Amino acid sequence: MENKVAKKILIIDDQQELISGLATFLKAQGYVILSANDGLYGISQAHKENVDLIILDLSLPAGGGFYVLDNLKKSVTTNNIPVIILTASQEKALEEKAYQMGALAYMRKPFEPKELIAKVKELLGDQ
Amino acid sequence: MRVKKAGNNIERDFKLVFQELKENPYRKFNLAFSLMSVIPLLVFLYILAAKLFTFHILVGNIGLIILICILISVCGFCLGYSIIKNALNRVIFYAIKAKRSDELKSTFVASVSHELKNPLSVIKTNLFNLMEGLLGKIEDEQKKAIQLLYGVVERMGRLINELLDLHKIEAGLIGLTRKLCNLPQILEGQVKELEGVLNKKQVKLAKEILSKDLFVWADEDRLQQVVNNLLSNAIKYTPEGGSVTLRAYFIEGFVRLEFIDSAESIPQDKIEKIFDKFQRLDAAKEGTGLGLAITRDIVESHKGKIWVEPLIGKGNKFIVVLPCDLRSSKR
Repeated sequence: MENKVAKKILIIDDQQELISGLATFLKAQGYVILSANDGLYGISQAHKENVDLIILDLSLPAGGGFYVLDNLKKSVTTNNIPVIILTASQEKALEEKAYQMGALAYMRKPFEPKELIAKVKELLGDQ
Repeated sequence: MRVKKAGNNIERDFKLVFQELKENPYRKFNLAFSLMSVIPLLVFLYILAAKLFTFHILVGNIGLIILICILISVCGFCLGYSIIKNALNRVIFYAIKAKRSDELKSTFVASVSHELKNPLSVIKTNLFNLMEGLLGKIEDEQKKAIQLLYGVVERMGRLINELLDLHKIEAGLIGLTRKLCNLPQILEGQVKELEGVLNKKQVKLAKEILSKDLFVWADEDRLQQVVNNLLSNAIKYTPEGGSVTLRAYFIEGFVRLEFIDSAESIPQDKIEKIFDKFQRLDAAKEGTGLGLAITRDIVESHKGKIWVEPLIGKGNKFIVVLPCDLRSSKR
């Protein structure tokens, strides 16, 4: 029987309640969930934990989402990790900026959990 | 002609501002310029006359008159300078006030976005987890109640988005990124997006693109929003098995879009209010009552017009007229 190692997803969001909700349905899909409530801790987790995907909020304490994204994309260790932006902002300009900076998906809150699961699976090649 | 019209608009806007300020700053400007320019002009003319008619200008009564004139002109200049400076200060004050007000509006939008959407995401995520049985087994009755709540949360999300959209448009916080938009392509895209709803309701859609090269100089995202709002409205109010017609063509320098449904005709007394906020024809139909208000604001921000004509018997025709792109009208 194939012994598959569960993929790690890092959620960087300042709302712990949201992280818990996301973690519940992503764990149910077989993923291991790591979390960070601020930008700097998020960056350090991404470097330390060898994560497979990052779900990133744009409005964060200790370094906003764009600071985190920029940092991740400039580092050799983390620049290949796919990033999904999850934000409450409606600004079209932010979406364009996120894609330009290397994010692979952009979702607006309140998002559809099924769509997020599908996007995660697509980016991790689990479909 | 167009310049004159724009000038008239600016004059009208100024009049409104003056009414609000309860004063006309131009009066002060006129006074200041009179003081600063007319009096020195009189002195100059007097000196010129003295030179031409060779009377001594700085001697006796004439000299005294000249000195008084010079004194008056210096006072006039100082007074004029102070009036203009005050008027400019007031202009700058109002400009700063307007800028601060815009900044406050932007902050408000950002705060509402963050403070309402984040908790809504938490509620939605947890309801999803409950519904899927990820937090323990639930009975059918409980599942039904959760599904109901989930639908309400989804509607709240839409309402927040539409309210923010409307606020941004009305407060002038949305900058239109205009480009040459291929209208048939946009129509095609939106029809595809609504294909699911069309099939579900078995509504037949007739697409009539009657002119070639239909281009509009517009913000593509906003134009898509207009088409989507009107087309989804037409489908929503059309009974199952009914038909919707989407027509587009050039007419005298304008692009005309028609969305014809086969719903009940809108009563005359509701025609006037249909584009107002929170106006809904049928409360039983899902919606926020903001879609048409947003649509009208977008159309008007593109210098277009939108109105509805109830058809005799059954159905309604929503008409959007947009100025077409100058390059395409030359063809």
